[in-house]
Amino acid sequence: MVESPDAKREQDLRFEKEALPWMDDVYRFARSMTHDEADADDLVQETYLRAYRAWHTFEPGSDCRRWLFTICRNVFLRTREREARQVDTGGDDAVLETMAAVREASPFASTDADVIFSRLDLVPAIRRALDELPDVFRTAVVLVDVEGQSYDEAAAVLGVPIGTVRSRLFRGRRILQHSLIEYARDAGILVPAKNGSPQEGARDGL
Amino acid sequence: MDCDQVVRTLWDYLDGELTDERMNEVRAHLKACRGCFPHFDFERAFLDALAKSKEEQAAPDELRRKVVAKLRKAGLA
Repeated sequence: MVESPDAKREQDLRFEKEALPWMDDVYRFARSMTHDEADADDLVQETYLRAYRAWHTFEPGSDCRRWLFTICRNVFLRTREREARQVDTGGDDAVLETMAAVREASPFASTDADVIFSRLDLVPAIRRALDELPDVFRTAVVLVDVEGQSYDEAAAVLGVPIGTVRSRLFRGRRILQHSLIEYARDAGILVPAKNGSPQEGARDGL
Repeated sequence: MDCDQVVRTLWDYLDGELTDERMNEVRAHLKACRGCFPHFDFERAFLDALAKSKEEQAAPDELRRKVVAKLRKAGLA
């Protein structure tokens, strides 16, 4: 079916209005995957080109940002397919991973979370630790923890089951916690508590 | 819920990914348990720090120009 000029113009206007404003987000997402400015530039260009060509498949009213993330992720994976497949995710036992991660953090939790999270400027350390995460974990953490996507939305972007997102997210968080605790130790402000002495006082934000 | 169950579900709880019933159970446990609250506090601070690390980096103007040029070439009116 040949599209009328008016219909095409309308489609193009919608694309400009709905897809182009997300370029900062797509760029940030691309940077988080590629670690490289030039590669991120290429990835963003390719993402938008493919998005434009597939714009007729975009469901009006649905989440355009998520749709663009999905395309961006797919383009990235296609170009890095071999590398991505070589990463050993070590299974998807999210329950054990969560347990292990929280337990491991426990001496610090009972010492004082404020010591790490309030007294240190963690942003550079977090960004560095994120950059060092294996791709499969980093993408899950970036989508959920940095970009604020739900497990369900992240699963749609990544094309994997929710359980896989959860598992990758938790493993990624665990690795990040290790890095931050090391960073706090190196900064000389953190000494593990001898025993987990529980805190008393207000329990805010439950 | 016992402490192990609460600890296992802390991240799901903080992410708001549990059922309402489960959310309430965890919340009630955390209010009452001296041992679990510090875990919650640590994990909450950790996730807050992660969220704050979001780079407010804009796509470079040159990239915007390249994207638009590519789209025009592909037919964008």
